[in-house]
Amino acid sequence: MTGYIARRLLQMVVTLFVILTVLFFLFRLMPGDPASMVLDPKMPPEAKEVLRHQFGLDRPLFTQYLLYLGNVLRGNFGRSFQSARSVLAVIVERLPATLLLFTTASVLSFALGMWIGKLIAWRRGGPLETSCTLLGLSFYTVFLPWFGMLVIWIFAYRLDWFPLGGILTPQLWIGMASTWAKALDVLHHLALPLFVLTAVMFAGSMLVMRSSMLETLEQDYVTAARAKGLTERVVRNRHAARNAMLPLVTSFTLSLAFSMSGGVLTETVFSWPGLGTELVEAVLSQDFPLAQGAFLLIAVLVLVANLVADVLYVVLDPRIRYR
Amino acid sequence: MKKRRWLSLRKNPLGFLGAGILLAFVLMAIFAPLLPHLSPIYDPVQGMDPEILGTSPPSARHLLGTDAWGGDVLSQLMHGARTALLVAVIAAATSVAIGTIVGLLSGHYGGAVDGTLMRLVDVMLTLPLIPLVLVVSSALGQLSIWGVVLLIGFLGWPGIARVIRAQALSLRTRDFIESARAYGAGNARIILRHMAPSVLPLAFVYMSLTANGAIFLEAALSFLGLGDPNTVSWGMMLQWCFKTGNTFRAPYWMLPPGLSISALCFSFYLIGRGLDEVVNPRLRRM
Repeated sequence: MTGYIARRLLQMVVTLFVILTVLFFLFRLMPGDPASMVLDPKMPPEAKEVLRHQFGLDRPLFTQYLLYLGNVLRGNFGRSFQSARSVLAVIVERLPATLLLFTTASVLSFALGMWIGKLIAWRRGGPLETSCTLLGLSFYTVFLPWFGMLVIWIFAYRLDWFPLGGILTPQLWIGMASTWAKALDVLHHLALPLFVLTAVMFAGSMLVMRSSMLETLEQDYVTAARAKGLTERVVRNRHAARNAMLPLVTSFTLSLAFSMSGGVLTETVFSWPGLGTELVEAVLSQDFPLAQGAFLLIAVLVLVANLVADVLYVVLDPRIRYR
Repeated sequence: MKKRRWLSLRKNPLGFLGAGILLAFVLMAIFAPLLPHLSPIYDPVQGMDPEILGTSPPSARHLLGTDAWGGDVLSQLMHGARTALLVAVIAAATSVAIGTIVGLLSGHYGGAVDGTLMRLVDVMLTLPLIPLVLVVSSALGQLSIWGVVLLIGFLGWPGIARVIRAQALSLRTRDFIESARAYGAGNARIILRHMAPSVLPLAFVYMSLTANGAIFLEAALSFLGLGDPNTVSWGMMLQWCFKTGNTFRAPYWMLPPGLSISALCFSFYLIGRGLDEVVNPRLRRM
């Protein structure tokens, strides 16, 4: 097991290395060099040279690449063009909000998809199956930002049940509210974005669970369980569903990237102060160091989530020998 | 054989629903230029109805209302259908072409070629697509609609490459490939004349599924403010509605473009699923 995790960690490092390399060369391919983006064109050429030297842009490309790798390894992602703050400080500040939305939505949509998938496979061909499939597929292909706007319009603007956006009510947090009230406040803000992201994602797990469950139901041990006289409920939940879950974990790993993409859009629509909004703002204001930093952290988040899901898979299914 | 395949497609009502929706949008795109011009000085797409300032709810003059500048929402919607279909076809064709080539090369040559290409595919598949598109487009600067389409096409191939590779791996050991090799056919000839035709149906299925992703991505980029501002697209309409703060004040402006994006994505997805059941008969049983 430790060997398996070590190997997967090594793979992750290689992946990150590839991403870093591509990012570096991508941003060097831009018209002009990074300095021309920040420098005032009216600056005298000598002053430009000094600055280029300070940025290390007069060195050979390969030396620059090594310097860049070294800096990233030491957690130095440079400074934001806009706020002049250290990129690392900015993105670490944004991490908790993204982590909260991403993990809750991933887990909730997985659980929901598994549960519904199980039920519709069990009552195959019924109206429940048709309606759930149609509903799930509509959510699966809905244009997420628009769906978010719609949900805000109905539940926050018209009905006024939930806040319009953001993660907390500033007045409450400045005041002397109890920890409970604060937690409830965050949950209140989390409800709508969580609903949107979960609705969009659960259909993936639902469809995989459905077909996996249908395959499992044809197995001999399910017939055997029925022959033993076990109740239908026990056969469904204990015998069939548990084994049908395994392909679902694999598809869950693949869906993590999808859920992070959806997360970026959800965050933007709900002004959720996470990495996604930060990335979008940085890209729009051409704040390249910040954009790279936010992207890297998002990538690391997905890679770590992948690793966790893979390790869970091995724990769940002892038949799998960790290769 | 052909007849039976067709029949099984008819047994797939969802696939036909998808085809119906797609047809509606194609008609919309075809008839977009035939929209009546209200007056000689008024261009329905670029807007500025001289008699209307700002948003206005649906009326006989503007069936779906107007946007913040007096532009006709219906006209923009119909022209947006052209953009969306264009994006879908070109971006998906690009992705499918790259994916098929990479998959065939990978499956045919195996070894180091396969290892490197599939490692790249793994990396690209673990990365979330929207952040990736965002960061790449920020490095490339302001893109035209063609740039956006190509960018989406160039990032959408890894999934296809993986599926085609699996197919190519199983083809490699089939008799007709072996016999072609025995006749002395070179690698290029085996790949182009013998393997490529066999994987084409599968590539076609994925073209439909990729089109759905391409439309979504283009709309998302436009919505986030990174699209081509000179193009009338559904994502742009939504972005303007959101940015000018009209989401709640003018729902008649917000609803149609989002509904169109969703419906078109839905239709491509259903068509892809339907075709997949025809091409992969194993799924039909379930």
